Amino acid sequence: MRRLGFIVNPIAGMGGRVGLKGTDGVVDEARAAGADPVAPTRARAFAETILALSRGDPSLSIRWLTAAGPMGMEPLGAAGVDEERCEIINRPPEPTTAEDTRRAVEACIDRGAELVLFCGGDGTARDVAESARDRAPILGIPAGVKMYSAVFAVSPQAAAELTLAYLRGRLRIGSAEILDLDEDAYRRGEWRIALVGTAKTLVEPTLVQAGKLQVAEVTEESTREELADHFRELFAAEPDTLFFLGPGSTIASIATVLGLEKTLLGIDAVLGGRTVAKDVDERSLLRLLDQHPKAKLVVSPIGAQGFLLGRGNPEASPDVLRRIGTRNVIAVATPAKLAMTPVLRVDTGDAALDEEFRRREYLFVLIGYRTSKLHPIQR
Amino acid sequence: MANRDPTSWMRAEYESLVAQSLDWKLRVLQGPSAPRSIVDGKTVIMLCSNNYLNLSNHPKVKRAAREAIKTHGAGSGSVRPIAGNMDLHEELERRIARFKRREAALFYMSGFAGNAGLISQLAGDGDAILTDELNHGSIIDGVRLTKAQRIIYRHRDVGDLERALKEADVSAKKILVVSDGVFSMDGDIAPVGEIAKLSESFGAMVYIDDAHGEGVLGDGGRGVASHFHVEEKIQVELGTFSKALGVVGGYVAGSNDLRNYALNKSRTWLLSGSHPPAVTAACTAAIDVLETEPRHVKKLWSNTKYFKKRLVSLGFDIGRSETPITPVMLGDSATAKRFSDRLFEEGVFALPIVYPMVAKDKARIRNIVNAGLKRQDLDDALAAYEKIGKELSVIA
Repeated sequence: MRRLGFIVNPIAGMGGRVGLKGTDGVVDEARAAGADPVAPTRARAFAETILALSRGDPSLSIRWLTAAGPMGMEPLGAAGVDEERCEIINRPPEPTTAEDTRRAVEACIDRGAELVLFCGGDGTARDVAESARDRAPILGIPAGVKMYSAVFAVSPQAAAELTLAYLRGRLRIGSAEILDLDEDAYRRGEWRIALVGTAKTLVEPTLVQAGKLQVAEVTEESTREELADHFRELFAAEPDTLFFLGPGSTIASIATVLGLEKTLLGIDAVLGGRTVAKDVDERSLLRLLDQHPKAKLVVSPIGAQGFLLGRGNPEASPDVLRRIGTRNVIAVATPAKLAMTPVLRVDTGDAALDEEFRRREYLFVLIGYRTSKLHPIQR
Repeated sequence: MANRDPTSWMRAEYESLVAQSLDWKLRVLQGPSAPRSIVDGKTVIMLCSNNYLNLSNHPKVKRAAREAIKTHGAGSGSVRPIAGNMDLHEELERRIARFKRREAALFYMSGFAGNAGLISQLAGDGDAILTDELNHGSIIDGVRLTKAQRIIYRHRDVGDLERALKEADVSAKKILVVSDGVFSMDGDIAPVGEIAKLSESFGAMVYIDDAHGEGVLGDGGRGVASHFHVEEKIQVELGTFSKALGVVGGYVAGSNDLRNYALNKSRTWLLSGSHPPAVTAACTAAIDVLETEPRHVKKLWSNTKYFKKRLVSLGFDIGRSETPITPVMLGDSATAKRFSDRLFEEGVFALPIVYPMVAKDKARIRNIVNAGLKRQDLDDALAAYEKIGKELSVIA
């Protein structure tokens, strides 16, 4: 019996149809404009697909940990999931809130859910990720207005297929970025998207040829060990170069292997293998560059979207990048992440600087110990 | 005392492979690897051996092995650098060099030992190795043993290779470009002519693993470098006797400098016992056959053309193959496995290649055409393909 968490944000997606670019703080307005909830249908489609695909396979016996009412039991019941197979973990009063989502996620994991499925958008992903706190992987059934985070399947059906592939042991657990758009800023006409955290989710193992007719899986962990070896040598070979380590889970986990405490969402500075400054802002970056003119910036693309600069790392301003030199920007990614990122993007806010990157057409992305791969930059 | 179980992890690992259907289930060949072989007690048309020219059954090759045992015994007694360097080894290497129109050659235990032992010695700290993303695992292992910067370029993408060469050009002392000649999963050929010319302009050394091109491509089966007429621009050609030449063992061919360097530096060569007399003499005889009996390569290609043409006219998709390696693309893994099982029941032995060896939607049956197959064998195999293709709704 496999235990899966199933949490629906019943109001997710309501802002989209009526042009509100999100539902944060505008539910009543959306309702008044005649918006229908999207999430219940999506959640039900997911459950129906799971039922259809797992029929006849007794090894896929699932116990659903879910909330009563529209946050879970209603869509599961509508899809035909037997109540016997469900365990109600809480009964939130309607209308439900973000706090109910957080409580439900924690309750699922406390009761042994090995994977938490949630139905919603970026805002929901953020709530779910914060309460899951890496205790269990999460997977999103898309129902929101925006789904920039890398924890979403492309459709409810795909979410069902991924879940079954995971239960059959074909997927691994890796980490992914949670992004969200500042919706207030968006409604004022600014497009400001930020990295707000990371979460564990399901990833396809990256496969490499390891011998004749034989293929080995390279786990995210072993790739990180390799990348850490690479940086350990690099730090030792260039003791007077200041390395700025950018945000995100890839670089943070490399830093962990190296025994460095890394700020997840900020930029830290490393000299001679030791952290000399943490979570530095643009001003401190420029000041450090005055003291250490030889510097390199290590950044990792945001999964799938491919933003290398200009999203999630505003401290690396055009001034900072010019001082470091575009040639001293080291892009790093695990092969799995690179495989799901079709193209790298830069949007520093400085057209001339962006052009300097884009003119190169391709960047070298470090994917293992002394191993890099060319990857295209969006023109 | 540690509460440690020394071996239980092996079973756990194995069971996890079994649960994912990733374990190898070995079939048993009862008798020679031949166009019609007995496998698990059943006579089947062999469409998955690498014995392209059927030389493993050639009377001259078998006789040479028997004679060598009479004159030189069953084993060589030592590694080559100490006391295991026989006249048979020296003779074979002269014959390889002559056949490949090269100054010199060195005979390794296997193609794998050649790649793992030599690539790791051809580049080091401060150098760069540029490698095709679909290169064989033995190349990957050889590359992993070095401290060189490694740049992986997209499969057969000369533009990507040029960008990689420009990048390496900035800082690398030496540059080594490594590619398979023929890629074993799809049967496609590397653009060796362009690779050679481009590398030359950067002063890069070119290393081609021609395991699947030897005895198949080029003038008289001399391989992919001959096929593209760029022999003088390829500094290292690695080949094998285990495929078209029908025996076992690998070799590198190139300059005298290459041989001298390789035999002093390759640990897989220095530290392995040398090949036994029977194997060594059989390899020499196989080259002899290739040089004197051009009909085998011709037959391989006429069989290949016939088989591929008929598969296409039946409605099968044979992918991007340009060689006797003929994939029949089937999409999902379950269909490919079912197809292969049914082929075996119908008397055809061809293995499915499924995820994770290829992408999930690119599962296939991989056929390797053989010069020893008669027209009737091919027609029987094609009839089985037609029957099962319709049965599983792969073709109309």
